Amino acid sequence: MTRARNELRLLAFLMLLFLLCPAAPGQSLRLPPHEKFVLKNGLTVLLLEKRGVPLISIFAIVKTGAAADPTGEEGLASVTAALLRKGTKNRTAQQFSADLDYIGGSFSADAGADFTAISAEFLTKDLARGLELFSDAVLHPTFPQSETDKILAQSLDGVKAAKDEPNSVLGLYYAGYLYGAHSYGRPSDGDEVSLKRIQRDAITKCYEANYAPGDTILGVAGEFDAAEMRKKLEETLGAWPARSVPNMAIPAAAPAKGKKLLLIDKPDATQTYFAIGNIGTAANDPDRVAIRVVNTIFGGRFTSELNEALRVESGYTYGASSFFDSRKAPGPFGIFSFTKNETTTPAIDLALQVLEKLHKNGVTEEQLKSAKSYIKGQFPPTIETSGQLARRIVVNEFYGLNDDEVNQLEARVDAVTPAIAKQVIEKHFPLDNLVFVLIGKASAVGPAVKKYADKVDGRSITEPGFWPPPAAPK
Amino acid sequence: MKTIRYGRTALLLLCAWGLASSEVRAQSQEFPVTTRTLKNGMKVLVQPDHSIPNVALYIFYRIGSRNERPGTTGLSHFFEHMMFNGAKKYGPGDLDKVMEANGGSNNAYTTQNVTVYQDWFPRSALSLIYDIESDRIRDLTFDPKKIASEREVVASERRLSVDNNNFGLLDEQLWASAFIAHTYQWPVLGWMSDIEHWTMDDLKHHFEMGYSPGNATMVVVGDVSSEEIFQLCEKYIEPIPTHAPPPPVTTVEPEQLGERRLVVHKPAELPIVMIGYHVSETNNADFYALNILRSVLFQGESSRMYQRLVDKDQLALDVSADVEPAFDPTLAIITAQPRQGVDPQACEKAIYEELEKVKGAPISDQELEKAKNNRLVEFYRQMRTINGRANTIGTYEVFMGDYHKLFDAAKSYSAVTKEDVERVAKKYFGANNRTVATLLPADEEKAKQ
Repeated sequence: MTRARNELRLLAFLMLLFLLCPAAPGQSLRLPPHEKFVLKNGLTVLLLEKRGVPLISIFAIVKTGAAADPTGEEGLASVTAALLRKGTKNRTAQQFSADLDYIGGSFSADAGADFTAISAEFLTKDLARGLELFSDAVLHPTFPQSETDKILAQSLDGVKAAKDEPNSVLGLYYAGYLYGAHSYGRPSDGDEVSLKRIQRDAITKCYEANYAPGDTILGVAGEFDAAEMRKKLEETLGAWPARSVPNMAIPAAAPAKGKKLLLIDKPDATQTYFAIGNIGTAANDPDRVAIRVVNTIFGGRFTSELNEALRVESGYTYGASSFFDSRKAPGPFGIFSFTKNETTTPAIDLALQVLEKLHKNGVTEEQLKSAKSYIKGQFPPTIETSGQLARRIVVNEFYGLNDDEVNQLEARVDAVTPAIAKQVIEKHFPLDNLVFVLIGKASAVGPAVKKYADKVDGRSITEPGFWPPPAAPK
Repeated sequence: MKTIRYGRTALLLLCAWGLASSEVRAQSQEFPVTTRTLKNGMKVLVQPDHSIPNVALYIFYRIGSRNERPGTTGLSHFFEHMMFNGAKKYGPGDLDKVMEANGGSNNAYTTQNVTVYQDWFPRSALSLIYDIESDRIRDLTFDPKKIASEREVVASERRLSVDNNNFGLLDEQLWASAFIAHTYQWPVLGWMSDIEHWTMDDLKHHFEMGYSPGNATMVVVGDVSSEEIFQLCEKYIEPIPTHAPPPPVTTVEPEQLGERRLVVHKPAELPIVMIGYHVSETNNADFYALNILRSVLFQGESSRMYQRLVDKDQLALDVSADVEPAFDPTLAIITAQPRQGVDPQACEKAIYEELEKVKGAPISDQELEKAKNNRLVEFYRQMRTINGRANTIGTYEVFMGDYHKLFDAAKSYSAVTKEDVERVAKKYFGANNRTVATLLPADEEKAKQ
């Protein structure tokens, strides 16, 4: 690399920061202009030029995710993604890392429930090398047996390591207990049993079946010339043989009826971690903006009703919140917090009271006004960088949403009234049908928490898998 | 997830390598930061950037757990929480409610060295934020009821990040063993018994000691002009009287004369190894060479330690190194999580062997060049958001003594030679200078006996 060039780039970067025009007051935030086209092989491309920082961010979605993992082989899509950089037609895993690290680049790939996400970032001056590396991993992985064995064994230990921190596995137990056999209930990174079942053969088949240009959305954002970028993409990813694969279908899961509780025993825990809720909403739910406004009030910020009650007023916890994990099909909704063993039931009681209060009282004009300001005021830094922008336009495209998600956000937020909020609460926030998942010291908290549900289940955190308990390996 | 930050709400923020990573090869002095020192001694740094209609405001107070005493450990961190619990104009709970209702959010964190307050808000909330900040710097109140409930909140934070977090637990034990004299030996969160026992008077004393405007640096980046910030400072901040800063921390940690070892037995699926080496304070000439060394050993999957421990020998799930920005000589901590069934000492042995290699022969030209390329990319990554810039500028100003070093670092980095890297490896990474902390799964340990 040339030093002088870098210095010039830096200078240009700093000057640009200085010269950027002020945002006109009152003008609402808009996504920077971007273009969409489809390469001859069917690859959907979104390009967004963003000047000022000499970086290029790539975010790609392969439209098949962990939800398509065969039952008993959970983790297959994740392991497949992790192996993309671990040996290609042109490079060993070590060579790939050496080439990537030399330019200070990044590359990562992981499968969530709905899709597999592949992201990369490098300096604009390294565009040719960066794109070549990205294409090499996505188009030409060879899945060497030795690297496959390594990734599978590491993933398995990764599950064990996660179980040492209740915080990091609560969501997995919660999803499993909430969704049961539905694909959203299964751990996307696998568990101690499923990872032992996965063979290299299944991985190569997973790649061959799911990685296809017709099934992929590629977003590139950052400092580049769009025409030049298009040419470069045609030269690299354009070489991916045309193919399309059937869309992964995910049925909507039926919300849980009644009340049930799962207690995961961690005998050394001094604090109980809990999640309470039911199945929530899909990413394209027409009520999504109103839900966001109401959830901001309920559990989505520091002064939310949940945090006010459980932290500020009572000191039960360091934090209490609620979330909607919105996906292709309705994803989980949950209230999340933790508290010392002795205050487990008072804290859960209080969380339930806050939920009941939301249903009973709805939200006030004043709360709405505050939440609207908060959402609008906190939004701009979420579309500040090329990495954030690349991700946002690609995820929108995947869920069939458009630029109005950003460009109309302020107007949509402002349109929410107490009456709309009331409807949203009734429709989307559970009340009588609730699933409880707790990780804690069962001998200390077990007897008291039985009161929350008619059906109570339990197992030890050290037992393999999450929920439901995995079938024993054949 | 190895770097644990103690603060108001859970956030993982900069570590010293983040600071290190913002080095860049540039001679440029064009960086449009304007500074002014107020009459009460607070230094204000402003960088206008109008790309989004938002502002990031940081206030760094030079007070942390290093300024504490036995019996009241954790007070700085607890005090940080109390700074949100009511002042004269904005009473208990008002600060957050008013700030969020105006589109803003906030957080704070405490380290051994500093207590840092952060506000992120739309430009429309600018004067309100100054009103809030001046209110709590000048007229903080101490409501006994709030103290009682906040004590519980902090205890919960401790249970989250220490008692129920094996990395946090082992890290605490490591510092307590590596330092026998200097105040870095106790946890930022404080020992639980101290959390339970400090008094209102302790809190008041802490406020008087640490929260003088002259003991603070303010950094503002975003949709503002320097002039309007200075005017707001004149109106809201400058009238706040200054007073004496905390007494200097004069204790110097004596040289470590031999390896120290400790073991923690805890129910766990996997063990952990942490090795702490005493290294220089942040504002030291060795800083740059240490960072190159760290990059060669730990950065990326092509780094020597990753290649050896994670990839080739498959001894560890992960291996990393961290150093916090520090006013006094501190610890560089290497953390490895052994794979299941791997003896933690096998990880140790591999780490020591790799350290011996960098002491015995110069790193390659390619490795040196790679480390420098990584500095450049990370500089851009950090500097591309208003928040990242406020944090980086402030961290340089406070820990390096002058934000200009952000640019001098260019020269300092190009001056680093392979011999320098070898020299700092030899100087700091010897057996006598290390403390080794191992967490062993309790059940496994029982089975062995």
